Amino acid sequence: MRFLWISVRKDWSRVRRDPFSLATSLAIPLILAVMMSLVFGRGQAAPQGRLLVADEDSSVASNLLLGAFNRDPLDKMLLVEKVAQADGHARINRGDGSALLIIPAGFQEAFLGNRPFQLQLFTNPAQTILPQIVQESLSIMVDGAFYVQRVAGDQLRVVATRNAPPDELIASVSVSINHLVTSLRRYLYPLAMDLETVVVADRSESKSFAATFLPSMIFMALLMIANSLAFDIWRERLMGTLRRLAVSPAPLGAFLAARLIFVASVFALVALVGLVASRGLAGVPVPNLPAAVMWLTFAGSALFLMMLVVAVTASTARAASVMGNLIVFPLAMIGGCFFPFEWMPAWMARIGRLTPNGWAITQFQAILSGEIDARQLAVAVAGLTVVSAVMFMVALRRLRSGFLV
Amino acid sequence: MIEVAQLRKSFGDLTAVDGVSFTAGRGEIFGLLGPNGAGKTTIISCISGLLTPSSGHVKVDGHDAVSDGPAARRVLGVVPQEISLYEDLSAAENLAYWGGAQGMRQPALGERMRQVLELTGLEDRAREPVKRFSGGMKRRLNFACGIIHQPKVLLLDEPTVGVDPQSRVRLLELVRTQARDGACVLYTTHYMEEAETLCHRLAIVDHGRIIAAGTLAELRAMLGERDLLRLSGSFQVEAAKAALAHIDSIEVLQADAELLILALPEASRRLPAIFAALAAAGSDVRGTTLTQPSLESLFIKLTGKELRE
Repeated sequence: MRFLWISVRKDWSRVRRDPFSLATSLAIPLILAVMMSLVFGRGQAAPQGRLLVADEDSSVASNLLLGAFNRDPLDKMLLVEKVAQADGHARINRGDGSALLIIPAGFQEAFLGNRPFQLQLFTNPAQTILPQIVQESLSIMVDGAFYVQRVAGDQLRVVATRNAPPDELIASVSVSINHLVTSLRRYLYPLAMDLETVVVADRSESKSFAATFLPSMIFMALLMIANSLAFDIWRERLMGTLRRLAVSPAPLGAFLAARLIFVASVFALVALVGLVASRGLAGVPVPNLPAAVMWLTFAGSALFLMMLVVAVTASTARAASVMGNLIVFPLAMIGGCFFPFEWMPAWMARIGRLTPNGWAITQFQAILSGEIDARQLAVAVAGLTVVSAVMFMVALRRLRSGFLV
Repeated sequence: MIEVAQLRKSFGDLTAVDGVSFTAGRGEIFGLLGPNGAGKTTIISCISGLLTPSSGHVKVDGHDAVSDGPAARRVLGVVPQEISLYEDLSAAENLAYWGGAQGMRQPALGERMRQVLELTGLEDRAREPVKRFSGGMKRRLNFACGIIHQPKVLLLDEPTVGVDPQSRVRLLELVRTQARDGACVLYTTHYMEEAETLCHRLAIVDHGRIIAAGTLAELRAMLGERDLLRLSGSFQVEAAKAALAHIDSIEVLQADAELLILALPEASRRLPAIFAALAAAGSDVRGTTLTQPSLESLFIKLTGKELRE
């Protein structure tokens, strides 16, 4: 037991003397977070695109159409900018914009006269989600226009045939529309369909960029640190200190346990500082700080043991380094460390949540949003402890047989 | 204190140690002398418990190194061939850690740290990170970490490799001090001079086997009072051998087209006769080295090759 603490103290002393390697592991997620916030903007949960509109009609109808893009929720995703058609083409061709919509001259007249008209939409092939949103929204608007024509087409045509309709005609059209709506009242009120709405929690509405990216950033840091500290077993082997220890009476199990305690304390410190800083500097709500820190400590330690098993299984230090990176980076990419699951396609997020770090991130998000109770958390921690114990034994077995020779 | 009996260690098809047996007692410095790759480090690894022997047995202070490993390791001190230190830590922190690994506690550990730092001449640099040390200082600290717990049995695996002369003298004196204090020291080296000046008894190892063992005097007696004569040049091997056969008491240890190694008494006096015989046999001698009887000449006699090959 005494050697355990001596060994933990030794590991901390080594980090104090050479903090660079640990700092490097922390630098990668921090740099990525800064870059992400520069790209997407602080406090912005969803990415914003630019819809270029060449309105050659400049009519009430074309303004109504554009107004639909300025309403919630589209206004959060799209910035509508009027441009000349030639300028719009030039900009969309160089990728400056998500889509270009061309409203032709005579659009209002054609619409009111129930004559065919053509809207042109050019999308940016370099983007996928935002142009699709524009296309879907425009398609819904065109459908809406079709039904308006069906319901109130005659009245609209009467207005459209006159250049300056007199007040009596406007009044007459209004009355006839009112009669039409009254006749449809029994279909419209009450609605034939009964809709029950249950609001669970609209997280996307309230989450800032920092809140969305926090779990990813923290787990990326844990994964990088876990990989770096796991590789340290090879540094110990190459320094000869591990062989020296193996011929001393100190048990290798105590050495490994001490390493695990040291690693857990590093993770606890990183988690505490990271969460407190996120709360203080970026206003990210962390309702249950102790549970969040505990979870990050356990999850980080399990990731360390996973990477340690990989490291001690490798036949050379170089192989260990390559294997570690080959595992860490794909796991980080798909497991929600580089990009939050909210930003991923649904199928990828589903796969990502099945990875070790993806599962841990999901649990962490549940802790942050208060969706997990104490019992569920205890079960998750117990599961993590069992898996960690198995990995500890595998690593120890490898240390005792073969790794040192 | 060390008993090695019929020790054999194989790695697949390669037999690194093949039936090695020896004993070493309290206060004795026992040397294992042999070229690189002879199996010395494998023998040390089997004694220290780092490797499990394929067959045979090893006892350290009466404890079997395999079945009673922890007890055997408690009396062992090992100074590995490579520098095995935490270079980010200071000398004092290294000593404290390795003392702790040996089960030492304060205040005895602190007192012993002070002693070994003084013994190794590192007391002024105790608080400095090891990475700032010279090679010789690191070697001395490497040694200090091996003796911090005053082991009964000390295994030293080529502890002076790459050390400056000043540090080497200091290290060798430290080894003698350990033996004087009652430790059983097993010392491996491929430096002939070290083995000759330091060891009470020696075993010469080659290809995993002990090819000769005994005190220095006993080993010299195996060679006789013969000098070793190395002749370089170009030789008709068979003709040269035939010519030399007519000279009394000459033994040809090695002969090839460019080198002849001969063992003979009073070589310096008989050089003219040897040159004349070789010239008559069509040989051209361009260089001559004469060596007095030594471990090296014994090694050459036993193996037909030089120790540093």
